[in-house]
Amino acid sequence: MPKSVISIGPYHPLQEEPELFQLTVEGETVVDIEVSVGYNHRGIEKLSERKTFDQATFVIERICGICSTSHPFAYTQAVEDIIPVEVPERAKYIRTIIAEGERIHSHLLWFGLAGHFLGYNTVYMWMWRLREEILDVMEILSGNRQNYAMFKPGGVRRDIKPDDIPLAIKKIDTIIPTVDRLRKAILDDPVLHARLKGIGILTKEEAIAYCALGPTSRASGVARDVRKDAPYAAYDRVDWNMIVGAKGDVWDKAVVRLLELYESIKIMKHCLLSIPGGEIDLNIKSIPPGEGIGAHEAPRGETFHYVRSDGTNRPARHKVRAPTFMNLPTLKATVPGSSIADAAIILAAIDPCYCCTERMAVRAPGGNKLYGGDELLRLSREKTAAIMKEA
Amino acid sequence: MKLPKLRELLEAVKSLAHKPYTSKFPAQPHTPYPGFRGQPKYDQASCLGCLACEEVCPTEAIAHRDLTADGKPHRVMIHYTDTCIFCGSCEAACIADHRGIRLSADWELSFFDRAKESFETIEKDLAVCEVCGAVIACRDHLRWIAEKLGELAFSSPTLYQSRLRELGVVDPDVLEAARSFGRADRMKILCARCRRRTTLTTAAWPEGLPAGQEGGRGPA
Repeated sequence: MPKSVISIGPYHPLQEEPELFQLTVEGETVVDIEVSVGYNHRGIEKLSERKTFDQATFVIERICGICSTSHPFAYTQAVEDIIPVEVPERAKYIRTIIAEGERIHSHLLWFGLAGHFLGYNTVYMWMWRLREEILDVMEILSGNRQNYAMFKPGGVRRDIKPDDIPLAIKKIDTIIPTVDRLRKAILDDPVLHARLKGIGILTKEEAIAYCALGPTSRASGVARDVRKDAPYAAYDRVDWNMIVGAKGDVWDKAVVRLLELYESIKIMKHCLLSIPGGEIDLNIKSIPPGEGIGAHEAPRGETFHYVRSDGTNRPARHKVRAPTFMNLPTLKATVPGSSIADAAIILAAIDPCYCCTERMAVRAPGGNKLYGGDELLRLSREKTAAIMKEA
Repeated sequence: MKLPKLRELLEAVKSLAHKPYTSKFPAQPHTPYPGFRGQPKYDQASCLGCLACEEVCPTEAIAHRDLTADGKPHRVMIHYTDTCIFCGSCEAACIADHRGIRLSADWELSFFDRAKESFETIEKDLAVCEVCGAVIACRDHLRWIAEKLGELAFSSPTLYQSRLRELGVVDPDVLEAARSFGRADRMKILCARCRRRTTLTTAAWPEGLPAGQEGGRGPA
């Protein structure tokens, strides 16, 4: 059967961000996938070298539009690792609350998009309506729906007022019945079962071989979570369970995220109720020369930051490794063999975030020849000239 | 198979009776929760014009212009609402008890003309050097430093004179005493460079020698 190539992207209505997937298909079946990154490179690492350690937090917060706290979380931990210092207890709790609130809204957003891709716009509307509630909670706690500007090296910028906590808890409690209803509606739905089960399977061996992270790897049965393996902030002070799937298909990835919602709500509520008093900031004045690493379990997996200081007030080098960077290659294992119709949801199942991933752009020679406008014009004129010569 | 569909059907019927979840925003104004981080606003009375906010701003949304050409030297503090990310660093760094610039609940910041409406300004009076006319600092800032230092401020004529003049007090004894020792040149509000110069000279600044040039050592 002849093979043909379907390009999804770099600018495509299926995606919110530019990324190029080239599916090689035989009839309806995808036999190979090529992922090209580099369309969304913004030079954030270089930018953060131009800001002070304190100011760089705001640039890094804008690496990702959805998990805007994951990157500052990992970055501040990396900077604190250089000194090294332990942040105050209250700051640890506030960090945990913000990070878990973000996980809830990020997973809800993914569910909405997944429903949208499958043609279940009811799920999309419900999930995003629910997400508004949790964004309201974040607005109460941090003063903003997104880009919370809470993190700084040595603590947090803003305290959570005791008066705000009951209101936030009340709002969180109101979303639990809705999440329950959604869980039942999703887990019972025969159409979703038929669409999601057994497609895009990432086996445990493959997940380990591809170094998959976060819900993508946990759905395949790899019990790995930075919050459990190397507890930081207040994660070791809360009793919570790591959700691990078994099969690694799209259904398991969805279930892992769905059940993680409950764990995040549990952690958030526990931290809000048992938040200790005291200082929230160490007021770090200077960063000594050295290097540090920081990791945080973002909604999509482990975010890893490396910061080197040369004793000035700016980072000498800052390296970001986002979870999608590790999860994107797993598409090589999951997409081939599926139909084109399933490819969209398999691509979406890793919850890709391209703006996190794109830390550099490489122009490699070779590959297929792409014709630009000038070359096409030249070809056209040459053909006319050739015909005129013949005539 | 039938049960979940029934449950969702019930949900659909219930939602008919509900009013829409979305707000009627342009028709009804939106009020954010207390503690919302909106546009930072200067407080004319509290701001000292010290530029700490400009120093810490991560997006360079705060700038200033020192205008000394006209008779009334003043500093214009500018806040660009389109560049601002509402992080609150300026409020946290404000030396005037975090009251000089504060985050407001104002979030409706769209405008038509970027050149005219994208910023807000306040004006602060500047203290300029009485010899060379260079900018020293805002009057309020000098007064604030003098008050913070208390009696230590008397080591710097620039500081204590700023304070005394602000209060409307003229102490002729101090001026006369300084004059009689031949150091009236120090009893002025001076910029750092001119102060260094006058301290190094052993006598009054010679008449006719232009300020702001090297080799200003006067006759003994």
